[in-house]
Amino acid sequence: MPGGTNSTEMTATPATRVLGISAVAATAPMILLGLAISPADVVQGEAVRMLYLHVPSIWVAYGSFVLTSFSSLLFLARSKRRPDGGRHYDRLAGSAAEIGVLFTAITLITGMLWGKVTWGTYWQWDARLTTTVLLFVTYLGYLALRRLPADPMVRGRRAAVMALISFINVPIVHYSVDWWRTLHQKASLSVGRRPEITGEMYWTLLYSVLTVTIIAAWLTVHRYRVIRLEELRDEENLEMLISSRRNEKTADGTGHGDTT
Amino acid sequence: MSEVATVATGWGLTFVAVATYSLWVVRRGRTIGRELGIGDVGSTDFQRDADPRTDP
Repeated sequence: MPGGTNSTEMTATPATRVLGISAVAATAPMILLGLAISPADVVQGEAVRMLYLHVPSIWVAYGSFVLTSFSSLLFLARSKRRPDGGRHYDRLAGSAAEIGVLFTAITLITGMLWGKVTWGTYWQWDARLTTTVLLFVTYLGYLALRRLPADPMVRGRRAAVMALISFINVPIVHYSVDWWRTLHQKASLSVGRRPEITGEMYWTLLYSVLTVTIIAAWLTVHRYRVIRLEELRDEENLEMLISSRRNEKTADGTGHGDTT
Repeated sequence: MSEVATVATGWGLTFVAVATYSLWVVRRGRTIGRELGIGDVGSTDFQRDADPRTDP
């Protein structure tokens, strides 16, 4: 077996350590800005502080699903041309999707809590909320598909197709507040549109987006490497199993060779 | 639930969720790494990462 157990940080490199330290260091000012420095809203009061978690979470989820789709597309396009089958694209898609699901769940939870204070209810089956929960469930299905036992390449192709189909819902979620009459407010931040908020609230929100993005990047890199480690372990276990079956056959003296 | 309690619950749940997931990922990496008897991953590049057994 190559190398020795020389560290407890099995998936870390100096670069990811810097990324991890940056994430932790950026979190403290985010808490300070979000909970203390930024002012309470004239209409929503203290409840507006949910904005600094809710909006960054969905932006990071969108970004993760874009990465999942892009990687899936590359996997489908290049899997037959690359000697390793382009499996690193499949791994990247899987790790990004898992982070996306985590942050979609956070979006839903923070949104429900925020909704209880501002709308008087945790849940309404309006366009934005319904499409978001659909997004969560479809990507949860994508992650379940990745765990089904199958040949890694076949499973990768199936997952890639599902990732591309699931992505159709991302723009629908984002533009649902423009396309339909919903209880949910319009986007606080949107490309090509003047932001709905200004001043300290605006900068706090931008800073929170940056911080949550760093955290998500760190998580994605680590999850990618853990997926690779899981594959290596599975390959090693398979080799051991084949070897033990061969030894059993040899010990039995059948001499018919292995059938594995 | 008051506004402050709602905000505290939201922020608390978020940090617990992210911290729990982060710990799970790091611990899973360590556990499998130990099973395979490997050390640090020597690359940050996704293409080169294809084999995390690369020693630094």
